[in-house]
Amino acid sequence: MEILVLAKQVPETAEADLEITRDGADLERDDLVYTINEWDNYAVEEAVRLKEAHGGAVTVLTLGDEESEDVLRRGLAMGCDQAIHLNDETFLGSDPATVVQAMVKALGGRRFDLILCGVQSADQGQGQTGVLLAQALDLPYASLAVGLKLVEGGLVVTRELEANTLEEVALPLPALVTVQSGINQPRYVSIMGIRKVRGMAIEAHDADGLDLAGQVGPAASCLAARRLALPETGAGAEILSGGLDAVCARAAGIIREKGGLK
Amino acid sequence: MPARVPFWNIEAAWLFYLLTALALAVFGLGLAINLARWRPGFTWGGFSAARLKATLADALLGRRIWRGDASAGLMHALILLGFLGLFLATCLVAIDHYLVSFLHGRLYLVTSALWEICGLVLMAGLVWALIRRYLQRVPRLERRPADALLPAWLLAIALSGFLVEAARIAASGAAWERWSFLGWGLSGLFAPASAVAAHAVLWWTHAALSLGLIAWLPFSRLFHALAAPVNLYFQQEPHPLADLSLAPDQVREFSHRHFLTLDACTRCGRCVEACPSARAGEPLAPRGFVRDARLYTRLKYNLLTKIPWFRRRLRQELTSRPTIDPEQAWYCTTCAACVEVCPVQASPIELIRQVRSALVEQGSTVPPLLAQSLERLAKYQNPWLAKKGQKAAWAKGLDLPDLAKGDPAELLYFVGCTTSLDTRAQGLARGLTAVLAHCGVAFGTLGKAEPCCGDIARRVGENGLFEEQREDLSGLLADIGVREVVTSSPHCHRTLSHDYALARTRDGVTGPMPFRARHYSQVLAELVEQGRLTFPTGLAVRATFHDPCYLARHSREVRAPRRVLAAIPGLELVEMADHGRNGLCCGGGGGRMWHELPGQGHLARARLEQAMATGAALVVTACPLCLIMLEDARKAGGFEDRLAVRDLNEVVCLALGLEGGANPF
Ligand code: SF4
Ligand code: SF4
Repeated sequence: MEILVLAKQVPETAEADLEITRDGADLERDDLVYTINEWDNYAVEEAVRLKEAHGGAVTVLTLGDEESEDVLRRGLAMGCDQAIHLNDETFLGSDPATVVQAMVKALGGRRFDLILCGVQSADQGQGQTGVLLAQALDLPYASLAVGLKLVEGGLVVTRELEANTLEEVALPLPALVTVQSGINQPRYVSIMGIRKVRGMAIEAHDADGLDLAGQVGPAASCLAARRLALPETGAGAEILSGGLDAVCARAAGIIREKGGLK
Repeated sequence: MPARVPFWNIEAAWLFYLLTALALAVFGLGLAINLARWRPGFTWGGFSAARLKATLADALLGRRIWRGDASAGLMHALILLGFLGLFLATCLVAIDHYLVSFLHGRLYLVTSALWEICGLVLMAGLVWALIRRYLQRVPRLERRPADALLPAWLLAIALSGFLVEAARIAASGAAWERWSFLGWGLSGLFAPASAVAAHAVLWWTHAALSLGLIAWLPFSRLFHALAAPVNLYFQQEPHPLADLSLAPDQVREFSHRHFLTLDACTRCGRCVEACPSARAGEPLAPRGFVRDARLYTRLKYNLLTKIPWFRRRLRQELTSRPTIDPEQAWYCTTCAACVEVCPVQASPIELIRQVRSALVEQGSTVPPLLAQSLERLAKYQNPWLAKKGQKAAWAKGLDLPDLAKGDPAELLYFVGCTTSLDTRAQGLARGLTAVLAHCGVAFGTLGKAEPCCGDIARRVGENGLFEEQREDLSGLLADIGVREVVTSSPHCHRTLSHDYALARTRDGVTGPMPFRARHYSQVLAELVEQGRLTFPTGLAVRATFHDPCYLARHSREVRAPRRVLAAIPGLELVEMADHGRNGLCCGGGGGRMWHELPGQGHLARARLEQAMATGAALVVTACPLCLIMLEDARKAGGFEDRLAVRDLNEVVCLALGLEGGANPF
């Protein structure tokens, strides 16, 4: 079974103190640490597990600058066999359709039985790359997978819907699946694990080589970020003090005042 | 003339020689199977007379066996003495028979009497061992069938030996045979007429039992008689650091040092009694871990796997028998209590580290929280926060010189991740800062550039991360030219002084360490001794000291913190049941601070209960991890009104009336 998995490098922002650049167009990135997009990490783990159970090979692909090679090395350390790097600074800031166009060109007609990627990325959060790629390659797809089972003639995917509902769908192969977080417990990648794959060759493409020079990046994007802003800080919290009963009574009172309790 | 008549009354001597050859062949095979496991990578490391002396003291005098259990020491001494005596006797007889004849006349009589005594001593030891195990039912001893077999077998050999002698004396007894007093006494059991026939039967029984034991020895627990002294010799050298430059196919699952540990273990169970994890009812028990690993390696690395038929059988065994359960390895706090009490210096802790390293490299069974902490360590240089630059926040307003920014200072205070970032542990840092300032000691820190020293990575088995952090910090210290370091944590202290030195040895770097790292308690004790830290007023309180494992056991420092406490007038120090090098772990070491395990016990609560039993109102410790663990247990375990938990620095500040570092109780 040949699997392709897409992985993106994103800044880790969950606990960071974010600051916006002076021109309001981007985040202050100096103090940020870059890592694999959380959802993609689950996708890579799922791909490697499928390979370990059923044989075959996994190719990991990323699009980004030189630095994003770390994501590929990490994928190789987790057990991927090959890596493709769409390596060009000018790719940064492209819209999802352009990203997908570049990927299709780089893949150049290579066929995979299964393509996996995260549901969305932690930085842009548009959730489009996976489904657009399925569209471009004319593949059936399922999104929001929290379970994946290989069966005779295809794939059974458990999808996470609203309000704790799960849906099971069957897909023929080849197919594309976008993976929700929590589908598995991604393995720990040790420093030695990454060092061991240091020498592995990575297939690289730049915009020029893909005949995309000038057609990528923010200028060519159908979207333009106008301003980044941090959410307004609220007026402040009211800290209740006093005995337990008094605090509870007061809290219930506030909730009632605001219409939360009838 | 009194002398021994070899093969008296025995006709088929050839049969005896045949059986002996067989027994020796099986013994040799067993020995080869065990030694073959030791061999790969075996380094002799040069001969050391001091180490040999210590080995002999432990092996022959049983120094470590007497310690903490005189009854066990006596048991072992009796068996060893009796066994060695009889072994020597057999050798002398063989020499007399095959090489030079010298055992006759008076000499023979005296030696005969001595052997009788040896036999008695051996039997007394064996009976004592059986009483301890089955009547006294010493809790740490196991009572499986195999546990009775070995002493019973030895006892049968000794008894049958005496009976052979008795029958011989009954049949042919000359008056000088009186010297073999026990055989003489027992000879009444045999009627002279039947004694000859009985003698032959008994003789063959004795021979078969003895030869059987020889054949069984390498496969039995008695193999410790050979493996333990070797282990005792080698354990005096620290286990080397993993060589990360090896290609994956050259990396061995276990080294000869681990195999020595496995083979030396006598299953005495002292480690189980000492292990905080086992005591708290967690799934890890060092003895069981060692036993499982021994079975696993004896099956997997068996010499016989070279023969296809055996290979199939052994593989089958390996998959069908429950062997090593790697998950247990995560429960270990690396407190080293097991190593401290082990009479043969087996090192479950190194075995566990090795298993952990393999799990970390494999990746998929690393507990999720631990994996997260390790990732943080790699990215943010601390296991607590997913952000950089917070390390110096605790010192805001203190205006400490920053060595990383080029400020000069003689002494580097290496604060450490936990002490910098945990709100409770920051009390330690503020306390030490206040005390050093009070004593006029000039010092600086690395400010927000302070990286992790690598302790967590090292204890957890993330060897690559440890190397990376070690290289970073060593490089930084070398750039600044640091020569004196004081640490908050006994963990950082141990890592900087011991593990960094191991790395130098491994990498062939010669010369002394470029800096000296000390734990703060050592610096405070020195200040007390120099008269620079004195307590005009004092503190009236009954206190007990919780020894951090990395200070008391790993770094062998039990005196310094007590020296400081003793200098405080009015402070009465009482000791807990387990203290000093036998202290009981709080449960925070070995990475356990950073993960949760199924069925984990209340290790720190057990410690506070010991503290309560002393009648102390204050528990003093000298480690940020102990401080957090004990403080949490105090709150969660309902000790709040009865005990206070403080870092040594906080107590010193309180006694001196220093603002800033004092944390009253
Ligand atoms: S490891 Fe040491 S203390 Fe533990 S059972 Fe074996 S010999 Fe005894
Ligand atoms: S180091 Fe401590 S926790 Fe680990 S096995 Fe030994 S006694 Fe138990």
